[in-house]
Amino acid sequence: MLTCHDVAEQATDYMEGATGRGRRMAVWAHLRLCPNCREYLRQLRHGVGLARRALAEAPPPAEVEDALAALFAARRPGPAE
Amino acid sequence: MLLARLRAGDQAAFRTLVRARHGRLLRLASAFCRNRASAEEVVQDTWLAVITGLHGYSGEAPLAAWINGILVNKAKTRAVRDGRMVAFSDLARAETAGDTFEPERFLADGHWAERFSPWDALTPEREAGDRQLLAGVAEALERLPPAQRAVVLLRDVEGLDSAAICQALEISEANLRVLLHRARVKLRDAADRLVRPR
Ligand SMILES: [Zn+2]
Repeated sequence: MLTCHDVAEQATDYMEGATGRGRRMAVWAHLRLCPNCREYLRQLRHGVGLARRALAEAPPPAEVEDALAALFAARRPGPAE
Repeated sequence: MLLARLRAGDQAAFRTLVRARHGRLLRLASAFCRNRASAEEVVQDTWLAVITGLHGYSGEAPLAAWINGILVNKAKTRAVRDGRMVAFSDLARAETAGDTFEPERFLADGHWAERFSPWDALTPEREAGDRQLLAGVAEALERLPPAQRAVVLLRDVEGLDSAAICQALEISEANLRVLLHRARVKLRDAADRLVRPR
């Protein structure tokens, strides 16, 4: 029987599907019986979601976009062929 | 098709591409560069290479992956040139040493010493609109040691696949997972402090 400590150490491997079948079953069995580890894994996942959200997409400032567009206009080879 | 329009010199298509990718490129670059200014320069160089390389690009790899690949090369070259490239393999070695968890977080029998209460205070509305919370999470990301920060940015935020990350950072899959795990553990702890009402 795995301890909470074992499960905590393997949580990312488990979530990434990087554990062997035996290990995977053992973690799964522990999680069924241990609400505290279930909550911990839920929060690990949720933390990832928060990180993604915290760095949500922001379009570049208009002046950056304009400068790049000007580069594109200047650099592109004229109508080839 | 976007690529055909880009090759034809379509300005609107290029602006669409810039709007979709610029922020992500900056973030990728910041996984390699420690300061914002050099990350911005790397992104600028990448756009230049994209513009000049469009006609030579085979179209085999998806456009986004092709651009990411250019960025990673530019970022590494620049870091080496600036002489401040600490190999990620060395960082990874240092950052995977020791324990992930402080021993006092577990009892002698291996049970958690703490009880996790659900983040009930974290409603979807708050998650979307609480700037202070999101800024706190972003700060926690900034505070991560560099290799942990890089893997969490590349894997969890940008969604690159593990093989591509291992290749770019020159680390093993095993190292990647340990770094990712340690980063996620720290992010959860930081989020836990931020979520709870004070
Ligand atoms: Zn447990």
